[in-house]
Amino acid sequence: MTGESVQITLPFSCLASGTREVTSLYRELREPLLRYLVCLGLSKDEAQDVVQDAFLSLHRHLTAGGAQTNIRGWLFRVAHNQARNRQGSYHRRFAEPLDPHFAPMVDESTPERMVLEKEKLHRLEKAIAALTDAERECLLLRATGLRYREIGEALGMATSTVGDTVERAIRKISEKLDV
Amino acid sequence: MCKYSTKLIAWLDRELEQEQMAEMAQHLRECGECRVNIAKYEGASQLFDDYCNAVMTAEPDRGRRRWIPVLSAAAAILVLVATTAVVLHNRVQPLSPSPTAIVQPAESPLVPEPATPPANAMRPRRARAKPVRSQAGNWLPLPPQPAVEVAIPADSMFPPGAVPEGVNFIADVNFAPDGSARQMRLRPRLTAIERSAPQP
Repeated sequence: MTGESVQITLPFSCLASGTREVTSLYRELREPLLRYLVCLGLSKDEAQDVVQDAFLSLHRHLTAGGAQTNIRGWLFRVAHNQARNRQGSYHRRFAEPLDPHFAPMVDESTPERMVLEKEKLHRLEKAIAALTDAERECLLLRATGLRYREIGEALGMATSTVGDTVERAIRKISEKLDV
Repeated sequence: MCKYSTKLIAWLDRELEQEQMAEMAQHLRECGECRVNIAKYEGASQLFDDYCNAVMTAEPDRGRRRWIPVLSAAAAILVLVATTAVVLHNRVQPLSPSPTAIVQPAESPLVPEPATPPANAMRPRRARAKPVRSQAGNWLPLPPQPAVEVAIPADSMFPPGAVPEGVNFIADVNFAPDGSARQMRLRPRLTAIERSAPQP
């Protein structure tokens, strides 16, 4: 017989300056960061590791008196760069076909509807796969709710370039989908 | 092509200056071509977001297979919080042979309930981004109400000067039917940061 499994949290003191800011950002951005990293191609395990590391970096950055401007962009940049360092899995999954047995986007209410939806999903996958890295990354960050200025900070691009890139990417998808 | 066509997506994203936003809104009332294009771009944006959510949902939880080594220890005291729904007041045995180990019921939730977003929280600019579904498994599934709080001196578990500041651990403990701890696995987490926030 297997014993009961219990989860235990072991907290350590971390009451240094900047902790409150980190706490707030952690609550706010943990999920968007995870989604961004998974969409880039990391596994959920890898994404969790990257997010943990990114917040530890932020904690050190703030307690060391680092700049506090555009901190969301800074955090995504750290996470993005760490994801880049894991090139082995980076871009492995996003824009690859979803598991055919799992298609949460597909409306299966009627067979005809299902065929149409699957066709649309297929075209969307092709459209996303045809985007450049920069276009895909801009759209992913935009989907998390980041402003163009923050996306620029995360990807090392000028804000105006982000605007142009987002526009180009959306136009491409729109044309391929004919929506 | 309409001269406003290059600003449609920036307008959708509310990235234009206030004056330009108003000018564009006025233009959209008058220009059918731009209205059609706006609808296309909004549709494409929505589909992209849906796809991201689908990718996130489709990515399996594999469970964490590897140990992340504990780095060091600075804290004097570790507080272990059993966060299972199973109440183990009478069954929990100290995980360390240290005679100073303390076992006591937790009086208040040590893991806070999800807080309302702060006033400056990032919000999706368009109401199209769906919340990312968090799945059970290896996803920080901290229950809101710990059942038992256990304090153990850090130096009974880690060498002095051990753990980096700001790091918590989650320990998966497996108890034998007789209540003794059979196995424990530590995983670093940032929950200490959440917990250290002043409560309102």
